[in-house]
Amino acid sequence: MNKELEHKFVTELENNQNIVHKVCSLYTTNREAHNDLFQEITIQLWKAYPKFRGDSKFSTWMYRVALNTAITLYRKSKKSIKTQDFDSVIYRIKTDEYDATEEKQLQLMYKAVRQLGDIDKALVFLYLEDKDYSEISETLGISEVNARVKMNRVKNKLRTILNP
Amino acid sequence: MMDELELLKKDWQKKEAQHPKLSFDEIYGMIKKKSSSTVKWIFYISIIEFVFWAVLNLFSYTKESLELEKTWHIYEITTTLTIINYIVLIYFIYKFYSNYKLISTTESSKKLMKNILNVKRTVSQYVWFNIGIFVAYLMVNLYGNLNYGENSKKIAEAASQAGNETLFWIIFTVMFLLFITIILLLIWFFYKLLYGILLNRLRKNYSELKKLEV
Repeated sequence: MNKELEHKFVTELENNQNIVHKVCSLYTTNREAHNDLFQEITIQLWKAYPKFRGDSKFSTWMYRVALNTAITLYRKSKKSIKTQDFDSVIYRIKTDEYDATEEKQLQLMYKAVRQLGDIDKALVFLYLEDKDYSEISETLGISEVNARVKMNRVKNKLRTILNP
Repeated sequence: MMDELELLKKDWQKKEAQHPKLSFDEIYGMIKKKSSSTVKWIFYISIIEFVFWAVLNLFSYTKESLELEKTWHIYEITTTLTIINYIVLIYFIYKFYSNYKLISTTESSKKLMKNILNVKRTVSQYVWFNIGIFVAYLMVNLYGNLNYGENSKKIAEAASQAGNETLFWIIFTVMFLLFITIILLLIWFFYKLLYGILLNRLRKNYSELKKLEV
C-alpha cells in the first residue's frame, strides 16, 4: 500500500518537477544549494502528501509547499553567497535572435530579483508564473488587496535597485 | 518598469526547458532521506532543553538533600514546589506535542511561520518557568540554611563581628542577588544565541507579512 503511494507521488513529482526547480533557482545561487533545497522540498512534499486530498491541483499544492519550504523551513548555508559563476551560466539566453541589450537588461533584472527579501521573491515568482492575486494571497496568507499593494511595492523596489 | 517585468516573465517562461530533469529513481531516493528543516531543529533543541532541565531536577535531588530539607524545616515548601513543577511539566509536554502537530507546510506561509514562532514561544515560556522554579528553590534553601543550617551560626557571628550588622546583611543580599542575576544573564544569552540564529530570518519574514495587515 505504501509502495503504491510512493510510486504515485514520485511519478507526479517527476512530471511537475519544474516547479520545484524554479523555486530553487530563485532562492539559491549555486548548484549545491539548489540540490539541497530541492531535496528538502521533496521531503516536505512527501511528508505532506498523505494529507493531499486533491481539492486543489497537484501543481497548486506544490507551489505552496515548495515556497513555504524555501521561505520558512530551509536553512541557508553560508556557501550560497558566492553567486557570480552560476548566474552567468544559467541565465545566458540561448535564442536565435541574440539581442545584447535585451540580455543585459534581463541579467540586471535577475540580479535585482535576487537582492529581494524572501517574501518579495515569492511574490515576483508567483507573478512570473502568471498566478492571479487570489492564488498569491492564499499562498502567502494575506488578503488580495494586500497582495496587490505588496506587489506594487516590490515593483518600486526593483525600480530603485535598477536605477539607483 | 512594467515592460521590463513583462520581458522577465517571457524569458522566465522560455527557460522552462533549461531546468535539470531528475529521473524517477533520483526523486525516489530523495524521499528516503531525512529532513534538515528549521522546525526539526527547533523541535530537537526544545527536547534537549526539556531533558536538560528534567535531568537537572532529578540529579540534584538525593537522599541527603531530603534529610537536609527536613532539618532546615523547608521540606513542605520544596515538596509543594516539586509537585507544582511536575504538574506544569506535564502541561508543557502536551503543549510541545500539540504545537508540533500544528505545523503544516500546506498552510499559508504566514500561518506556518506563526505556528513555528508559537513553538518557540512555548519553549521560551518553559525556560522562564524553569528559571523561576530554580530561583524559588534557591531562595527557600538559602532561607533554611541561614536559619537552621550548620553555617548559620558562623554567618550570624560574622555579621555581629563586622560591626555594622545592617550593612553586612545588605552586602550579603546584594551579593546573592548579583549571583542570581549573572546566572540568569548567562542562561538568557545562551538562549538568545540558540534561537536567534535559527529564527532570525523567519521573524523578519513574518513581521514583513504582518506589517501589511495593519
